[in-house]
Amino acid sequence: MTDFFKRTSSGLLVLYALAAFGLLLIVYRFVMGLGAVTNLSDSYPWGLWIGVDVLAGIALASGGFVVAGTVHLFGANKYHSLTRTAITTAFLGYLIFIFGLIVDLGRPWNLWRALFNWNHTSPMFEVAWCVMLYTSVLLMEFLPPVFERFKLTALHEKWKTMVPWAIVFILGIFTFAMTDSLIWTVVVVFVLLFWELVFRAGLSPRSIQMPLLMIIAGVMFSTMHQSSLGTLFTLAPHKLHPLWYSPMLPVLFLLSAVMVAPAMVIFESIVAERSLGHRAHMNVLSSLGRAMPWLLGIYLVVKVGDLLARGAVSDALSISWQSFSWWGEVLLGVVLPFTLFLSQDLVQKRVGLLTAAALVVLGLVWNRVNVAVVGMIDLEGDVYFPYWAEIFITLGLISLGILGYRLASLHLPLHEEETAATH
Amino acid sequence: MNAMLIDSTRCVGCRACQIACKSWNELPSEKTQFFAGKGYQNPKDLSATTWTLITYNETKRRGRFDWVFGKRQCMHCLLPACATACPVTALKKTPEGPVVYDSSICLGCRYCQLACPFDVPRFEWDKVFTKITKCTMCADRVAEGMEPACCKACPTDAIVFGERSKLLAEAHARIDANPLNYVHHVFGEKEMGGTCVLHLSDVPHQELGHAGGLSEEPASAYSRPAMASIPFVLTGLGIGLGAVSWVVNRRQQLAAQQKEIERLHEIAEQAEGKEPGGTNS
Repeated sequence: MTDFFKRTSSGLLVLYALAAFGLLLIVYRFVMGLGAVTNLSDSYPWGLWIGVDVLAGIALASGGFVVAGTVHLFGANKYHSLTRTAITTAFLGYLIFIFGLIVDLGRPWNLWRALFNWNHTSPMFEVAWCVMLYTSVLLMEFLPPVFERFKLTALHEKWKTMVPWAIVFILGIFTFAMTDSLIWTVVVVFVLLFWELVFRAGLSPRSIQMPLLMIIAGVMFSTMHQSSLGTLFTLAPHKLHPLWYSPMLPVLFLLSAVMVAPAMVIFESIVAERSLGHRAHMNVLSSLGRAMPWLLGIYLVVKVGDLLARGAVSDALSISWQSFSWWGEVLLGVVLPFTLFLSQDLVQKRVGLLTAAALVVLGLVWNRVNVAVVGMIDLEGDVYFPYWAEIFITLGLISLGILGYRLASLHLPLHEEETAATH
Repeated sequence: MNAMLIDSTRCVGCRACQIACKSWNELPSEKTQFFAGKGYQNPKDLSATTWTLITYNETKRRGRFDWVFGKRQCMHCLLPACATACPVTALKKTPEGPVVYDSSICLGCRYCQLACPFDVPRFEWDKVFTKITKCTMCADRVAEGMEPACCKACPTDAIVFGERSKLLAEAHARIDANPLNYVHHVFGEKEMGGTCVLHLSDVPHQELGHAGGLSEEPASAYSRPAMASIPFVLTGLGIGLGAVSWVVNRRQQLAAQQKEIERLHEIAEQAEGKEPGGTNS
C-alpha cells in the first residue's frame, strides 16, 4: 500500500480520492434518496447534475463524431491521428454520463422501459433513445483498438462485416420510434442500404478499416442527440429566462457542441501530453486552432441573431444575475477565444492554444449551466444553489472519467506513434 | 369529457376539500411552518402529500381589504405538457378527463415538473423508491360514477363536477348573470390549449396563485417544430453525408491515381532520358 502511494503522483491521488468520495456519496444517495444529497426541490427539479454531467458532458463528448466525420467522411486525413483518442473520450464520456444519469433519475430501474413505452412527442424520449443507440455506435467505433491490443483478428473481421447491418437496423428502428411512420423508416433504411451497396460494389472508394456507415450513423445520432438536449427546454417557455429560451435552442446546442469539439481535442491532447507523456501533434492542433474562429464566429452570429430576432436584447442589457451570467458565457467563452484563435502567433504555441481552448470549454459548460440552472432561477421565490454533495458527486464522476481515459490510454493503442500506419 | 368548475367567489376557505383529498387518497399530514405573506394558508405549497391547496390571498376587493381563496391542483389539461414531456407515457390524458400517472413505468426524470406550466407535479425527494405525485381528479372515484372527493366535500358548491362543455357554459352564464361580480375570464378555458379544471374569480386569477402569462397554445406546440424535423434531418444527413464521402473519397482516389501516373511518367521519362545518355557515354 505504501508502495502505491510512493508510485502515484499527487495529482493522480487527488483523482482517486475524488472518485472514491463521489462513489461513496452515490451509495449514500441510493440509501437515503435524492433529497439527502441535493438541494433539488419541486421548484428546481433539475440542477447541477443536469447542467454539468448531462448537458455539458454530452456536448464535450462531441469530439467523437466531429473528428470521425471530418476524417472519414470529409477526407481531412491530416487529423487522423486524433480519431482514436476522440472516439475513446466520447465513449467513456457517454458511459460516465449514463452512470450520472442513473444517479439523477428517481426510478433508474425503469430505464429499459423507454424501449417499450413510446411517446413520439416527447423530447426526452428522443434523448433516451439517442443515448442508448449512440452509445452502441460509440462502442462499435471504440472496439478496433481493443481488437488490436488483444490480437482478436477473427473478431475484428466479423466486426467489419457485421457493423453496417447493425447500423442499418438501429437507425431503422430509431427512425420508426421517432416518427411512428413506416414510410420514413423505409426511406432512411433505403438510403443507408443504398450507400452500403455503393461502398461494397466499389463504386465509391472506401477505407476497408472503417465502415463508413458507422461513421455516418455516429454523425446522425450525435446531431439528433446534441440538438434534442436543446429541444428539452423548448417545453419550458414559462420558466427559462428569455436570454436563453428560444425555439432555436436545438440548433444552438448543436452548433455549440460542434464548436467545442476541436477545442476539447486541443485541450485534451495538450493536457494528456503533460500527464501521460504522449507527444501532442502540434501542427495538427494548430490547424484545428485555425478552424476555431469559423466555428466560434458562426455560433456567435446565430446566437446574437437569435437574440435580436426574439427581441430579447433588453434582457441582455438589463442588470441582473442572469444577464451577468449571459455576458460571462458569451464574452469569456466565445468572444475572447475567438480573438485569441485569430492570432497566428498564439495558435503555434502550446500555452496559447491551451488557454484559448480551455476558454471555449469553460464557455460551453457555462452556457449549459445557464440553460439548466441560472436561467431557471426565479429570484422572487426560493433560489437553488447546489448542495456540497451534489458538487462532490459531479467531481467524482469527472474524476472517474479522467481515470478511465488514463487507463484506456495506457493499455490500448490509441496514439498514432504506437499504431500501425495502415489505419 | 369530465371537468371541474371552481368558483372562488363561493369559497369560504374551510379547507374541507384539502382534508377530503388527503382522506380519500390516504395522504399523510405534513409538518408545516408559518411563513410570510399568505396569512392562514397551510401548507405553503403543493407537495408530494398535498395534492390540492386552498391559497389564502390578502387582496383589495371592491375598494376594501379582503381575503380571497384560490384552489390549486392539477388542471388536467386537454393536451397536457406533462404527458407531452413524459418519455415513457407514465403520465397520460384519459378520455374521461383525468390526467393519470403510472409509477410502474416512470423513470423519475422529473421532466414533467419542468414542463408543467402550472407547477403541479411533485416528487418524493425523501424516498429511495420515489414517485411523482399529483391530483388524479379522483380517477378511481370517477370510474365508479362518483364525483371527486373535494367536490363531494365542498359545503358551498364552490367546486362542481360535470361535463366540460356544460361547465364552461355554466361559467359564462354566471359571469353574464353577474358581470360586476366576476373577472370576465374563465381560467382554464383557453390556457395551454384548455384544461379540465375551470376557475372563476372576482379578482385577477394570478392573485389567487395561478400562473400568469400563459399561451393559448398547448405545450406540445413549442416542441413540435423540433420534433417534426427529425425524419427530414435524418434523411438529409443520410443522403448528404454519404454523397459527400463519395465525392471526397473519389476525388482523393483520382488524385492518388494522377500522382501514380505522374510518377510512372517520370520514371519512364527518366529511363528514356537516361538511355540515350547511357549509350552516348
